[in-house]
Amino acid sequence: MKLDILKQPDSAVAHIMMDPHEEMNAEAGAMIAMSGHVQASTTLRQGKGGGIMGGLKRMLAGESLFLSVFRSGGAAADLYLAPKLMGDILPYMLTPTGLVVQSTGYLASTPGVDIELGFQGLRSFFSGESIFWLNISGDGLVLINSFGGIYEVDVDGEYVVDTGHVVAFEKNLTFSIGKPSSSWLGSFLGGEGLVLRFQGRGKLYCQTHNPGAFGRLVGSQLPPRG
Amino acid sequence: MRYEIRHKPSFATLFLQLQPGEHLTAEAGAMASMDGAMQMVTAFSGGFFPALLKTFLGGESLFVNTFSNQSDRPLDLVITQACVGDMIRLELKAGESLCLQPGAYIAHMGGVTMNVQWAGFKSWFSGEGLFKLKIQGPGLLFFGAYGGITERRVQGDFIVDTGHLVAYSPQLKMNIQLSGGLLGSITSGEGFVNRMTGQGKIYLQSRSIGGLVNFLRPRLRG
Repeated sequence: MKLDILKQPDSAVAHIMMDPHEEMNAEAGAMIAMSGHVQASTTLRQGKGGGIMGGLKRMLAGESLFLSVFRSGGAAADLYLAPKLMGDILPYMLTPTGLVVQSTGYLASTPGVDIELGFQGLRSFFSGESIFWLNISGDGLVLINSFGGIYEVDVDGEYVVDTGHVVAFEKNLTFSIGKPSSSWLGSFLGGEGLVLRFQGRGKLYCQTHNPGAFGRLVGSQLPPRG
Repeated sequence: MRYEIRHKPSFATLFLQLQPGEHLTAEAGAMASMDGAMQMVTAFSGGFFPALLKTFLGGESLFVNTFSNQSDRPLDLVITQACVGDMIRLELKAGESLCLQPGAYIAHMGGVTMNVQWAGFKSWFSGEGLFKLKIQGPGLLFFGAYGGITERRVQGDFIVDTGHLVAYSPQLKMNIQLSGGLLGSITSGEGFVNRMTGQGKIYLQSRSIGGLVNFLRPRLRG
Protein backbone atom coordinates (compact mmCIF):
# COMPACT_ATOMS: atom_id res chain seq x y z
CA MET A 1 0.00 0.00 0.00
CA LYS A 2 1.17 3.49 -0.83
CA LEU A 3 -0.20 6.72 0.50
CA ASP A 4 -0.18 10.16 -1.02
CA ILE A 5 -1.76 13.18 0.64
CA LEU A 6 -2.96 15.65 -1.97
CA LYS A 7 -4.16 19.25 -1.78
CA GLN A 8 -2.45 20.05 1.48
CA PRO A 9 -2.82 21.98 3.64
CA ASP A 10 -6.29 23.46 3.29
CA SER A 11 -8.29 20.77 1.50
CA ALA A 12 -6.30 17.61 2.09
CA VAL A 13 -7.37 14.36 0.44
CA ALA A 14 -5.77 10.97 1.07
CA HIS A 15 -5.02 8.96 -2.07
CA ILE A 16 -4.41 5.34 -1.08
CA MET A 17 -2.92 3.01 -3.67
CA MET A 18 -3.85 -0.47 -2.48
CA ASP A 19 -2.09 -3.66 -3.52
CA PRO A 20 -4.18 -6.77 -4.26
CA HIS A 21 -5.81 -8.32 -1.17
CA GLU A 22 -5.40 -5.31 1.03
CA GLU A 23 -7.88 -3.72 3.39
CA MET A 24 -8.46 -0.21 4.73
CA ASN A 25 -10.85 1.03 7.42
CA ALA A 26 -12.30 4.52 7.35
CA GLU A 27 -14.84 6.72 9.03
CA ALA A 28 -18.22 6.10 7.37
CA GLY A 29 -18.84 8.76 4.73
CA ALA A 30 -15.17 9.53 4.15
CA MET A 31 -14.87 7.80 0.75
CA ILE A 32 -15.02 10.21 -2.16
CA ALA A 33 -13.90 7.89 -4.96
CA MET A 34 -12.49 4.41 -5.56
CA SER A 35 -11.73 1.84 -8.25
CA GLY A 36 -14.78 -0.03 -9.52
CA HIS A 37 -13.80 -3.41 -8.18
CA VAL A 38 -13.21 -2.32 -4.57
CA GLN A 39 -15.51 -4.14 -2.17
CA ALA A 40 -16.97 -1.73 0.36
CA SER A 41 -18.72 -2.98 3.43
CA THR A 42 -19.40 -1.79 6.92
CA THR A 43 -18.27 -3.35 10.10
CA LEU A 44 -18.79 -3.46 13.81
CA ARG A 45 -15.22 -4.27 14.49
CA GLN A 46 -14.37 -7.30 16.59
CA GLY A 47 -11.79 -7.31 19.32
CA LYS A 48 -11.23 -4.34 21.56
CA GLY A 49 -14.10 -1.93 21.16
CA GLY A 50 -15.73 -4.20 18.60
CA GLY A 51 -19.19 -5.79 18.60
CA ILE A 52 -22.47 -4.06 19.32
CA MET A 53 -21.34 -2.44 22.57
CA GLY A 54 -18.17 -1.14 20.99
CA GLY A 55 -20.21 0.28 18.13
CA LEU A 56 -22.66 1.91 20.53
CA LYS A 57 -19.74 3.43 22.38
CA ARG A 58 -18.39 4.79 19.14
CA MET A 59 -21.80 6.29 18.39
CA LEU A 60 -21.74 8.02 21.77
CA ALA A 61 -18.31 9.32 20.91
CA GLY A 62 -19.70 11.22 17.95
CA GLU A 63 -18.11 8.69 15.65
CA SER A 64 -20.25 6.72 13.28
CA LEU A 65 -21.47 3.42 14.62
CA PHE A 66 -20.06 1.68 11.59
CA LEU A 67 -16.66 1.86 10.09
CA SER A 68 -16.38 1.38 6.36
CA VAL A 69 -14.05 -1.37 5.18
CA PHE A 70 -12.54 -1.27 1.72
CA ARG A 71 -11.02 -4.42 0.19
CA SER A 72 -9.00 -4.30 -2.99
CA GLY A 73 -9.71 -7.96 -3.91
CA GLY A 74 -7.69 -9.55 -6.70
CA ALA A 75 -6.25 -6.40 -8.27
CA ALA A 76 -4.52 -3.21 -7.20
CA ALA A 77 -6.94 -0.37 -6.44
CA ASP A 78 -7.17 3.34 -5.80
CA LEU A 79 -9.09 4.82 -2.91
CA TYR A 80 -9.65 8.49 -2.11
CA LEU A 81 -10.68 9.55 1.39
CA ALA A 82 -11.52 13.04 2.64
CA PRO A 83 -12.67 14.58 5.91
CA LYS A 84 -15.71 16.88 6.05
CA LEU A 85 -14.12 20.12 7.23
CA MET A 86 -11.45 22.15 5.48
CA GLY A 87 -8.07 21.21 6.81
CA ASP A 88 -5.11 18.91 6.84
CA ILE A 89 -4.51 15.16 7.12
CA LEU A 90 -1.64 13.68 9.12
CA PRO A 91 -0.45 10.09 8.70
CA TYR A 92 0.71 8.60 12.00
CA MET A 93 2.62 5.32 12.35
CA LEU A 94 1.48 3.62 15.55
CA THR A 95 4.13 2.76 18.11
CA PRO A 96 3.63 0.43 21.10
CA THR A 97 2.85 3.57 23.13
CA GLY A 98 -0.51 4.04 21.42
CA LEU A 99 -2.37 7.18 20.46
CA VAL A 100 -5.45 8.95 21.76
CA VAL A 101 -7.46 10.75 19.07
CA GLN A 102 -10.26 13.23 19.59
CA SER A 103 -13.42 11.58 18.20
CA THR A 104 -13.79 13.89 15.20
CA GLY A 105 -10.08 13.62 14.40
CA TYR A 106 -10.16 10.03 13.14
CA LEU A 107 -10.24 9.51 9.37
CA ALA A 108 -8.90 6.06 8.53
CA SER A 109 -6.59 3.25 9.58
CA THR A 110 -5.03 0.05 8.30
CA PRO A 111 -6.33 -3.33 9.60
CA GLY A 112 -4.47 -4.31 12.76
CA VAL A 113 -5.28 -0.96 14.32
CA ASP A 114 -7.74 -1.20 17.21
CA ILE A 115 -10.17 1.62 17.92
CA GLU A 116 -11.91 1.90 21.23
CA LEU A 117 -13.65 4.62 23.23
CA GLY A 118 -11.17 5.61 25.90
CA PHE A 119 -11.76 6.05 29.59
CA GLN A 120 -10.84 9.68 29.16
CA GLY A 121 -14.23 10.08 27.52
CA LEU A 122 -15.90 10.03 30.91
CA ARG A 123 -13.68 12.69 32.35
CA SER A 124 -13.99 14.92 29.32
CA PHE A 125 -17.74 14.71 29.46
CA PHE A 126 -17.71 17.35 32.19
CA SER A 127 -15.63 19.80 30.21
CA GLY A 128 -18.76 21.12 28.51
CA GLU A 129 -17.28 20.54 25.06
CA SER A 130 -18.45 16.92 25.05
CA ILE A 131 -15.28 15.61 23.54
CA PHE A 132 -14.66 11.94 23.58
CA TRP A 133 -11.47 10.12 22.94
CA LEU A 134 -10.70 7.18 20.74
CA ASN A 135 -8.08 4.95 22.20
CA ILE A 136 -6.00 3.72 19.30
CA SER A 137 -3.57 0.85 19.66
CA GLY A 138 -2.12 -2.02 17.68
CA ASP A 139 0.07 -1.95 14.67
CA GLY A 140 -0.24 0.13 11.50
CA LEU A 141 -1.05 3.50 10.08
CA VAL A 142 -3.70 5.96 11.29
CA LEU A 143 -4.84 9.00 9.33
CA ILE A 144 -5.99 11.87 11.48
CA ASN A 145 -7.62 15.05 10.22
CA SER A 146 -7.90 18.58 11.52
CA PHE A 147 -9.91 21.77 11.08
CA GLY A 148 -7.15 24.09 9.87
CA GLY A 149 -3.49 23.17 10.00
CA ILE A 150 -1.95 20.59 12.32
CA TYR A 151 0.99 21.48 14.51
CA GLU A 152 3.05 19.13 16.58
CA VAL A 153 4.14 19.95 20.12
CA ASP A 154 6.89 18.01 21.87
CA VAL A 155 5.60 18.12 25.39
CA ASP A 156 8.19 17.88 28.10
CA GLY A 157 6.75 19.04 31.38
CA GLU A 158 3.42 20.81 31.29
CA TYR A 159 1.47 22.13 28.31
CA VAL A 160 -2.01 23.65 28.08
CA VAL A 161 -4.41 23.28 25.13
CA ASP A 162 -7.89 24.69 24.61
CA THR A 163 -10.35 21.77 24.37
CA GLY A 164 -11.36 22.69 20.82
CA HIS A 165 -7.80 22.50 19.52
CA VAL A 166 -6.70 19.01 20.54
CA VAL A 167 -6.47 16.47 17.73
CA ALA A 168 -4.40 13.62 19.16
CA PHE A 169 -1.71 12.78 21.68
CA GLU A 170 0.58 9.92 22.52
CA LYS A 171 -0.55 7.78 25.42
CA ASN A 172 2.47 8.46 27.58
CA LEU A 173 1.02 11.92 28.13
CA THR A 174 -1.53 12.28 30.89
CA PHE A 175 -3.95 15.15 31.14
CA SER A 176 -6.32 16.77 33.55
CA ILE A 177 -9.19 19.10 32.78
CA GLY A 178 -8.42 22.48 34.23
CA LYS A 179 -8.95 26.17 33.99
CA PRO A 180 -6.60 28.39 32.01
CA SER A 181 -5.97 30.97 34.72
CA SER A 182 -5.65 30.80 38.48
CA SER A 183 -9.04 32.38 39.14
CA TRP A 184 -12.31 30.62 38.32
CA LEU A 185 -14.07 33.86 37.40
CA GLY A 186 -11.31 34.87 35.01
CA SER A 187 -11.30 31.44 33.44
CA PHE A 188 -15.01 31.62 32.87
CA LEU A 189 -15.13 35.19 31.56
CA GLY A 190 -11.94 34.90 29.55
CA GLY A 191 -13.71 32.86 26.89
CA GLU A 192 -11.21 30.03 27.00
CA GLY A 193 -13.62 27.70 28.78
CA LEU A 194 -11.84 24.68 30.09
CA VAL A 195 -8.44 23.58 28.99
CA LEU A 196 -6.52 20.34 28.97
CA ARG A 197 -3.35 20.41 31.01
CA PHE A 198 -0.97 17.80 29.65
CA GLN A 199 1.85 16.32 31.64
CA GLY A 200 4.71 14.02 30.82
CA ARG A 201 6.79 13.52 27.72
CA GLY A 202 5.37 12.82 24.31
CA LYS A 203 3.95 14.22 21.14
CA LEU A 204 0.78 16.25 21.02
CA TYR A 205 -1.03 17.24 17.81
CA CYS A 206 -3.16 20.38 17.78
CA GLN A 207 -5.32 22.01 15.12
CA THR A 208 -4.92 25.71 14.40
CA HIS A 209 -8.67 26.32 14.32
CA ASN A 210 -11.53 25.45 16.62
CA PRO A 211 -14.56 23.95 14.80
CA GLY A 212 -16.84 24.96 17.69
CA ALA A 213 -15.74 28.60 17.57
CA PHE A 214 -16.22 28.81 13.79
CA GLY A 215 -19.58 27.07 14.15
CA ARG A 216 -20.73 29.62 16.71
CA LEU A 217 -19.51 32.51 14.55
CA VAL A 218 -21.60 31.37 11.58
CA GLY A 219 -24.35 29.57 13.49
CA SER A 220 -25.24 32.56 15.66
CA GLN A 221 -26.36 34.37 12.49
CA LEU A 222 -28.46 31.51 11.15
CA PRO A 223 -32.14 31.09 12.01
CA PRO A 224 -32.82 28.72 14.92
CA ARG A 225 -33.51 25.10 14.07
CA GLY A 226 -37.24 24.52 13.82
CA MET B 1 9.88 38.02 21.77
CA ARG B 2 9.93 35.80 18.71
CA TYR B 3 6.85 35.23 16.64
CA GLU B 4 5.80 33.80 13.31
CA ILE B 5 2.49 33.63 11.48
CA ARG B 6 2.23 30.11 10.05
CA HIS B 7 -0.37 28.26 7.95
CA LYS B 8 -0.98 31.38 5.86
CA PRO B 9 -3.21 32.32 4.17
CA SER B 10 -6.19 30.03 4.87
CA PHE B 11 -5.43 29.14 8.49
CA ALA B 12 -3.09 31.91 9.63
CA THR B 13 -2.08 31.27 13.22
CA LEU B 14 0.29 33.19 15.46
CA PHE B 15 3.10 31.19 17.07
CA LEU B 16 4.92 33.19 19.74
CA GLN B 17 7.71 32.69 22.18
CA LEU B 18 7.59 35.12 25.09
CA GLN B 19 10.82 35.88 26.94
CA PRO B 20 10.76 36.18 30.74
CA GLY B 21 8.92 39.33 31.76
CA GLU B 22 7.15 39.78 28.40
CA HIS B 23 3.42 39.77 27.94
CA LEU B 24 0.79 39.77 25.19
CA THR B 25 -2.88 40.70 25.28
CA ALA B 26 -5.33 38.78 23.11
CA GLU B 27 -9.03 38.59 22.41
CA ALA B 28 -11.00 36.30 24.73
CA GLY B 29 -10.96 32.75 23.40
CA ALA B 30 -8.02 33.29 21.03
CA MET B 31 -5.59 31.00 22.86
CA ALA B 32 -5.16 27.61 21.14
CA SER B 33 -2.37 26.24 23.31
CA MET B 34 0.48 27.37 25.53
CA ASP B 35 3.21 26.30 27.88
CA GLY B 36 1.90 25.14 31.26
CA ALA B 37 3.91 27.82 33.06
CA MET B 38 2.27 30.73 31.19
CA GLN B 39 0.13 32.99 33.37
CA MET B 40 -3.24 34.13 32.03
CA VAL B 41 -5.18 37.02 33.52
CA THR B 42 -8.60 38.13 32.27
CA ALA B 43 -9.49 41.81 32.22
CA PHE B 44 -12.18 44.05 30.84
CA SER B 45 -10.96 45.32 27.52
CA GLY B 46 -10.12 48.99 27.94
CA GLY B 47 -11.85 49.33 31.30
CA PHE B 48 -15.28 48.36 32.54
CA PHE B 49 -17.56 50.84 30.80
CA PRO B 50 -15.88 50.84 27.38
CA ALA B 51 -15.84 47.07 27.55
CA LEU B 52 -19.58 46.98 28.13
CA LEU B 53 -20.16 49.36 25.26
CA LYS B 54 -17.97 47.29 23.01
CA THR B 55 -19.73 44.03 23.76
CA PHE B 56 -23.28 45.18 23.46
CA LEU B 57 -22.83 47.63 20.65
CA GLY B 58 -19.56 46.88 18.94
CA GLY B 59 -19.72 43.13 18.57
CA GLU B 60 -16.32 42.64 20.23
CA SER B 61 -15.81 40.56 23.29
CA LEU B 62 -16.09 42.18 26.69
CA PHE B 63 -12.88 40.62 27.87
CA VAL B 64 -9.29 40.29 26.86
CA ASN B 65 -6.71 37.90 28.24
CA THR B 66 -3.19 38.94 29.09
CA PHE B 67 -0.58 36.20 28.87
CA SER B 68 2.61 36.86 30.78
CA ASN B 69 5.80 34.96 31.23
CA GLN B 70 6.75 35.12 34.88
CA SER B 71 9.15 32.20 34.67
CA ASP B 72 12.87 32.31 33.93
CA ARG B 73 12.78 30.62 30.53
CA PRO B 74 11.11 31.40 27.17
CA LEU B 75 7.52 30.12 26.94
CA ASP B 76 5.48 29.16 23.87
CA LEU B 77 2.02 30.52 23.08
CA VAL B 78 -0.27 29.87 20.10
CA ILE B 79 -2.96 32.44 19.25
CA THR B 80 -5.61 32.00 16.56
CA GLN B 81 -8.96 33.39 15.44
CA ALA B 82 -12.45 31.91 15.11
CA CYS B 83 -12.73 32.35 11.35
CA VAL B 84 -10.59 30.73 8.70
CA GLY B 85 -8.42 33.26 6.94
CA ASP B 86 -5.37 35.43 6.95
CA MET B 87 -3.78 37.49 9.67
CA ILE B 88 -1.93 40.81 9.49
CA ARG B 89 0.82 42.06 11.75
CA LEU B 90 1.14 45.80 11.98
CA GLU B 91 3.79 47.87 13.74
CA LEU B 92 2.05 51.05 14.87
CA LYS B 93 4.25 54.07 15.57
CA ALA B 94 3.53 56.44 18.44
CA GLY B 95 0.32 58.31 17.71
CA GLU B 96 -0.48 56.14 14.70
CA SER B 97 -3.84 54.42 14.90
CA LEU B 98 -6.18 52.08 13.07
CA CYS B 99 -9.90 51.40 13.34
CA LEU B 100 -10.99 47.76 13.39
CA GLN B 101 -14.32 46.32 12.39
CA PRO B 102 -16.07 44.03 14.92
CA GLY B 103 -14.38 40.65 15.19
CA ALA B 104 -11.12 41.65 13.50
CA TYR B 105 -9.02 42.23 16.61
CA ILE B 106 -6.77 39.33 17.65
CA ALA B 107 -3.90 40.52 19.84
CA HIS B 108 -1.54 43.36 20.69
CA MET B 109 1.57 44.10 22.68
CA GLY B 110 3.72 47.04 23.66
CA GLY B 111 2.14 50.39 24.44
CA VAL B 112 -0.93 49.81 22.28
CA THR B 113 -4.21 51.16 23.68
CA MET B 114 -7.76 50.17 22.69
CA ASN B 115 -10.55 52.71 22.65
CA VAL B 116 -14.19 52.57 21.75
CA GLN B 117 -15.44 55.43 19.65
CA TRP B 118 -18.83 56.55 18.50
CA ALA B 119 -19.33 55.43 14.92
CA GLY B 120 -22.74 56.93 14.37
CA PHE B 121 -26.21 55.75 13.46
CA LYS B 122 -25.29 55.44 9.82
CA SER B 123 -22.76 52.80 10.69
CA TRP B 124 -25.30 50.98 12.87
CA PHE B 125 -27.90 51.15 10.16
CA SER B 126 -25.58 49.31 7.79
CA GLY B 127 -25.02 46.57 10.35
CA GLU B 128 -21.58 47.71 11.43
CA GLY B 129 -22.39 48.69 14.99
CA LEU B 130 -22.77 51.99 16.79
CA PHE B 131 -19.23 52.02 18.06
CA LYS B 132 -15.89 51.35 16.49
CA LEU B 133 -12.72 49.99 17.96
CA LYS B 134 -9.70 52.28 17.65
CA ILE B 135 -6.23 50.89 18.25
CA GLN B 136 -3.45 53.38 18.95
CA GLY B 137 0.32 52.87 18.89
CA PRO B 138 3.13 52.55 19.70
CA GLY B 139 3.25 48.78 19.56
CA LEU B 140 2.42 45.66 17.66
CA LEU B 141 -1.10 44.79 16.51
CA PHE B 142 -2.42 41.53 15.06
CA PHE B 143 -5.77 41.37 13.34
CA GLY B 144 -7.49 38.81 11.17
CA ALA B 145 -10.20 38.27 8.62
CA TYR B 146 -12.36 35.70 6.87
CA GLY B 147 -10.47 34.86 3.66
CA GLY B 148 -7.47 36.76 2.34
CA ILE B 149 -6.58 40.32 3.27
CA THR B 150 -5.81 43.04 0.74
CA GLU B 151 -4.24 46.34 1.73
CA ARG B 152 -5.12 49.37 -0.31
CA ARG B 153 -4.19 53.03 -0.15
CA VAL B 154 -7.09 55.43 -0.51
CA GLN B 155 -6.69 58.86 -1.97
CA GLY B 156 -9.82 60.82 -2.51
CA ASP B 157 -12.84 58.60 -2.94
CA PHE B 158 -13.18 54.84 -2.71
CA ILE B 159 -16.20 52.57 -2.39
CA VAL B 160 -16.14 49.39 -0.30
CA ASP B 161 -18.77 46.76 0.41
CA THR B 162 -19.53 47.01 4.13
CA GLY B 163 -19.13 43.27 4.78
CA HIS B 164 -15.62 43.18 3.36
CA LEU B 165 -14.03 46.05 5.26
CA VAL B 166 -11.73 44.83 8.05
CA ALA B 167 -9.73 47.87 9.12
CA TYR B 168 -9.14 51.48 8.06
CA SER B 169 -7.20 54.59 9.00
CA PRO B 170 -9.24 56.82 11.32
CA GLN B 171 -8.53 59.82 9.05
CA LEU B 172 -10.86 58.30 6.47
CA LYS B 173 -14.42 59.52 6.57
CA MET B 174 -17.07 56.85 6.15
CA ASN B 175 -20.32 57.44 4.42
CA ILE B 176 -22.87 54.67 4.17
CA GLN B 177 -24.98 54.88 1.06
CA LEU B 178 -26.98 52.78 -1.35
CA SER B 179 -24.84 51.20 -4.02
CA GLY B 180 -26.94 52.65 -6.81
CA GLY B 181 -30.53 53.76 -7.11
CA LEU B 182 -33.02 52.23 -4.69
CA LEU B 183 -34.15 49.54 -7.12
CA GLY B 184 -30.67 48.90 -8.47
CA SER B 185 -29.25 48.47 -4.98
CA ILE B 186 -31.74 45.76 -4.18
CA THR B 187 -31.55 43.88 -7.45
CA SER B 188 -27.76 44.00 -7.80
CA GLY B 189 -27.37 42.39 -4.37
CA GLU B 190 -24.86 44.99 -3.27
CA GLY B 191 -27.20 46.73 -0.83
CA PHE B 192 -25.32 49.28 1.20
CA VAL B 193 -21.82 50.33 0.35
CA ASN B 194 -19.33 52.40 2.19
CA ARG B 195 -17.86 55.50 0.59
CA MET B 196 -14.48 56.24 2.16
CA THR B 197 -13.14 59.76 1.66
CA GLY B 198 -9.76 61.18 2.54
CA GLN B 199 -6.24 59.81 2.70
CA GLY B 200 -5.32 56.60 4.42
CA LYS B 201 -5.20 52.82 4.28
CA ILE B 202 -7.95 50.24 4.17
CA TYR B 203 -7.80 46.47 4.65
CA LEU B 204 -10.31 44.28 2.84
CA GLN B 205 -11.23 40.64 3.39
CA SER B 206 -11.80 38.48 0.32
CA ARG B 207 -14.90 36.77 1.79
CA SER B 208 -17.57 37.84 4.26
CA ILE B 209 -19.29 35.88 7.01
CA GLY B 210 -22.52 37.59 5.99
CA GLY B 211 -22.14 36.13 2.50
CA LEU B 212 -21.66 32.62 3.90
CA VAL B 213 -24.66 33.03 6.17
CA ASN B 214 -26.82 34.21 3.27
CA PHE B 215 -25.71 31.21 1.24
CA LEU B 216 -26.52 28.74 4.03
CA ARG B 217 -29.76 30.22 5.31
CA PRO B 218 -32.14 29.17 2.50
CA ARG B 219 -30.54 25.69 2.48
CA LEU B 220 -31.30 24.95 6.12
CA ARG B 221 -34.32 22.79 6.76
CA GLY B 222 -36.59 23.86 9.56
